[in-house]
Amino acid sequence: MTALAVEASGGSRIFKSWEPTKIWEGARALTGDKGDHLSLKMKALILVGGFGTRLRPLTLSVPKPLVEFANKPMILHQIEALKAIGVTEVVLAINYQPEVMLNFLKEFETKLGIKITCSQETEPLGTAGPLALARDNLVDDSGEPFFVLNSDVISEYPLQEMIDFHKSHGGEASILVTKVDEPSKYGVVVMEESTGQVERFVEKPKVFVGNKINAGIYLLNPSVLDRIELRPTSIEKEVFPNIAAEKKLYAMVLPGFWMDIGQPRDYITGLRLYLDSLKKKSSPKLAFGPHIIGNVLVDESAKIGEGCLIGPDVAIGSGCIVESGVRLSRCTIMRGVRVKKHACISSSIIGWHSTVGQWARVENMTILGEDVHVCDEIYSNGGVVLPHKEIKSSILNPEIVM
Amino acid sequence: MGTSEERVVAVIMVGGPTKGTRFRPLSLNIPKPLFPLAGQPMVHHPISACKTIPNLAQIYLVGFYEEREFALYVSSISNELRVPVRYLREDKPHGSAGGLYNFRDLIMEDNPSHIVLLNCDVCCSFPLPGMLEAHRRYGGMGTILVIKVSPESANQFGELVADPVTNELLHYTEKPETFVSDRINCGAYIFTPDIFTAIQGVSSQRKDRATLRRLSSFEALQPPNRSPPSDFVRLDQDILSPLAGKKQLYVYETMDFWEQIKTPGMSLKCSALYLAQFRFTSPHLLASSDGRKNATICGDVYIHPSAKVHPTAKIGPNVSISANARIGAGVRLISCIILDDVEIKENAVVIHAIVGWKSSIGRWSRVQAAGDYNAKLGVTILGESVTVEDEVVVINSIILPNKTLNVSVQEEIIL
Repeated sequence: MTALAVEASGGSRIFKSWEPTKIWEGARALTGDKGDHLSLKMKALILVGGFGTRLRPLTLSVPKPLVEFANKPMILHQIEALKAIGVTEVVLAINYQPEVMLNFLKEFETKLGIKITCSQETEPLGTAGPLALARDNLVDDSGEPFFVLNSDVISEYPLQEMIDFHKSHGGEASILVTKVDEPSKYGVVVMEESTGQVERFVEKPKVFVGNKINAGIYLLNPSVLDRIELRPTSIEKEVFPNIAAEKKLYAMVLPGFWMDIGQPRDYITGLRLYLDSLKKKSSPKLAFGPHIIGNVLVDESAKIGEGCLIGPDVAIGSGCIVESGVRLSRCTIMRGVRVKKHACISSSIIGWHSTVGQWARVENMTILGEDVHVCDEIYSNGGVVLPHKEIKSSILNPEIVM
Repeated sequence: MGTSEERVVAVIMVGGPTKGTRFRPLSLNIPKPLFPLAGQPMVHHPISACKTIPNLAQIYLVGFYEEREFALYVSSISNELRVPVRYLREDKPHGSAGGLYNFRDLIMEDNPSHIVLLNCDVCCSFPLPGMLEAHRRYGGMGTILVIKVSPESANQFGELVADPVTNELLHYTEKPETFVSDRINCGAYIFTPDIFTAIQGVSSQRKDRATLRRLSSFEALQPPNRSPPSDFVRLDQDILSPLAGKKQLYVYETMDFWEQIKTPGMSLKCSALYLAQFRFTSPHLLASSDGRKNATICGDVYIHPSAKVHPTAKIGPNVSISANARIGAGVRLISCIILDDVEIKENAVVIHAIVGWKSSIGRWSRVQAAGDYNAKLGVTILGESVTVEDEVVVINSIILPNKTLNVSVQEEIIL
């Protein structure tokens, strides 16, 4: 029995079927409609990895790539971006709950017209090992480079620009880098400004060596796979430094926003950045009206009552009911949630099918798991609540409620 | 006493998944009734107690879990104990008495003269043969197992007042605010089939009466047809309380141990109680350190035959080690439950903790807690597949499944 199957089978209304593990090859890819310069069929690998424990309690109900971000499963943002530039096959490198993922993917394979396969690690292979494992799916006779994405990363995905950059420098591997304010928290990429050639990687540097960090999006020639053994391997610590030493690794600075949304605080910041980029593109998806402030996304099946004030930086999922007099800001409301009258929610994530009671106030990084019910007039200051709970008394200080 | 016609059917209420969240994080991986205490699944203990009743025809486990969660267990225990055990799933909540009534046709199929009703999450010596004999002497409809507790703690339970001579139940009240009695309801009962008539009486009374309720916001969430239906009958408030003092219900007092197993901390305490009981009922199940080839054993210890324990380890008191666990050299284990496939490496120390399935405890690491069974972080709990790296210290903490600890933690819940 898979981990969490017991409670999930009893309570989750999201994923009920737990089928036996097998690698499943889905429907044949429909040929891309970008037939012009892409007789080449590009492939991509998305590193999905493990248990998503940093996004608990949400990931207690649903595997992390399927947790919605801006009303769309996280991994779908990436698959759609790949499809848009003509990638015909995506391999998901996973080591957890393949059955649940595969059911979901069946649906999207046909809808999107792209082939999706899963490559399952039986032991953790680090950040490079999964590429070796998926070798047969990634390389064919065409010799085309393939993309590698980290599943937690949200950005503009300038993938076509990256293909052009890769062709122009003629090196073996290209990586996207992004500029950050506090580079010492990450691995810094030191590169030659004009050509983008990477000199070296410095992990969590103590002195300032640069402000560009690895954005987790790569475009690699098939020859890179010859450098990776099928064992736990780190791409940043072992593979890339070797390629850089041979002066064959180039970095392109990512225009636009970038965020690793693998934990709740960054998820909420990421939503702000994402909605901001939608605004810049004058996207029709953003909501408007007298009750909307700033950038807000509302699913068309959601209902919003009178006298509400929604925004900025809010996403409301499908089937949600927001009753009258509700104030929402900087929060994500997942599918099927009911927010009752006069409630106030800010800087929080409300999990699927939960309810927030009348006059309740929920704020400061409160994360409600699936099917959590906050009673009327309750205050939650940073409560992190596991699925299937009822909150009958206020949470005055950040606390985990199991 | 008892003719060969007098068959007994036992019903054990096992609860369901979304109801009992207090048993997290262990309940994230296993239904609570199957969590092992003293090396045997929790529900095994009341089942074994039922086996001591003569003419036991059938055991039913009633709960809200999916059938497949219990399928394997039920078939293996039926074979092992040579008595039919069957799991019945309640489709919707009927209340503690309504659940029994819901399956009355099945229960009465064997035409039993007596029905034993037990709660699975009660840790107890279950003195059923004596209780059945007393029940026959009293000649009433039901006999309730009771125990004396401290007056301060009594109000967490159902309090009973009984006649000291006839043992008739005179008064019953559930979780009263003021002190009524220091005798409480243990959650074990013996009934005659008249109980079904009594339950039916309550639900038809309900149907006839229009009920006006002020709905709380949570109740308002339920779709209209889910507001308490007439077939929702609770044993305590609807049967025991009204029938007290009417010469139908009696009590039988136990002098042994009794605890409720609501939290993981309590499961450690109850595991120790059952291990101590094994000394009298099944001493062959306990480990002993005879010979140089075996580890040093103190006090009551259970070690599954497939587990491997290094001879230089010292185990106990109150330790239970499940299947395929590997205990390395120089390890010290005190008051803990080590679940299946756990690896504990050399010289590690585990005190007052529950170590989840497939977890790994590094060399010289220390996993411990204060041992306060009732405190939220009084027993350290490692979920399934948790790795504690070498030399790391984990104190008074709860770690959810699939985490790796490479730094020490204290007083924390790690999701």
